[in-house]
Amino acid sequence: MATLNVVSICGSLRKGSFNAMVQRLLPSLAPDGMSIKPAPSFADFPLYNADIQNSTGFPAPVNTLADAIRAADGVIFCTPEYNFSIPGGLKNAIDWVSRLQNQPFAGKPVALQSAAPGPVGGARVQYDLRKAMMFLDAFTLNKPEIFIGSFASKFDEKTGELKDETTRGLLKQQLAAFATFIARVAAKS
Amino acid sequence: MADRQLDVLVICGSLRKGSYNAALARTLPALAPAGMKLRPAPPFETFPIYNFDIQNSSGFPADVNTWADAIRSADGVIIVSPEYNWSIPGGLKNAIDWVSRMKEQPFKDKPVARMQYHLRQSLTSVDVILFGRPEVIVTFAPQKFDEKTLELKDETAIGMIKQQLAEFEKFIRRVSPKE
Repeated sequence: MATLNVVSICGSLRKGSFNAMVQRLLPSLAPDGMSIKPAPSFADFPLYNADIQNSTGFPAPVNTLADAIRAADGVIFCTPEYNFSIPGGLKNAIDWVSRLQNQPFAGKPVALQSAAPGPVGGARVQYDLRKAMMFLDAFTLNKPEIFIGSFASKFDEKTGELKDETTRGLLKQQLAAFATFIARVAAKS
Repeated sequence: MADRQLDVLVICGSLRKGSYNAALARTLPALAPAGMKLRPAPPFETFPIYNFDIQNSSGFPADVNTWADAIRSADGVIIVSPEYNWSIPGGLKNAIDWVSRMKEQPFKDKPVARMQYHLRQSLTSVDVILFGRPEVIVTFAPQKFDEKTLELKDETAIGMIKQQLAEFEKFIRRVSPKE
């Protein structure tokens, strides 16, 4: 079976990010035949401004991220929720790549995960991300949904180790479902 | 407050020079009622992408503090913004994310009017007193703004905006703390 090459994008930049801990865990939970690698960073993107695009063109890190998305069989977002919605930095990255010819999210299978200290686990950010992905013609996996609430009770915050078996099971289930989904929606050769 | 002219800050969500939203924002002062004076907010363009590690190590960037102070000192805020990918432009959201982390969070209990749909959700998160209607959504912008000067020409839009600003003034006076 051909390997599925998936990239993961973390919505938080801080070192101690819970969502980055989830992101790092994914390769070990992926089904056989799926490799999951972190995407290049959006930390150095300028804030989107069409004048930049029209004068000096797309910044190099934008093209780097876009290429990684294009080359991937699927994209997984691991993101916190900032102010009931998508972190501005992540949305800014999406805004930039959305302006490229050969827009990288078009036809791309996407899966969503979010982790949070509170009980809701990022429900609001995922529905907002779904909307943006819909506009960009991505295929977003519906279920299983991954909302990791009360993070501290499920992960060791220092080591990033996952302690909760239910969460482990759900993550494995989603990644397996994602593999099936990718195969289902891929363009027929 | 009854006699004092209100000081209202205008934030534009787009950064490009030829922005229709910036043109709309520039139009507002002339359409505001006498009891309200509008001024443009300082820029958020140079804010770094929000990272808690920056906040924790070197603190809030200077331009973030400048933006926050301008919001705090205003009686009300109007946000004029395009929609990017069916949602808030990342740059504007990033600015809101930064100031939302401050101890004296500048948007809390601030009367805010938006000329953009999706901001409602995030503005609720930062505890604004949100002005609801009338909403101002200017569609088919290229037809309504002069191509060269970017001056707003459409009479219906101008009427709507005047009405919204007049209602916003009443709203601010009503919801502001009683002196």
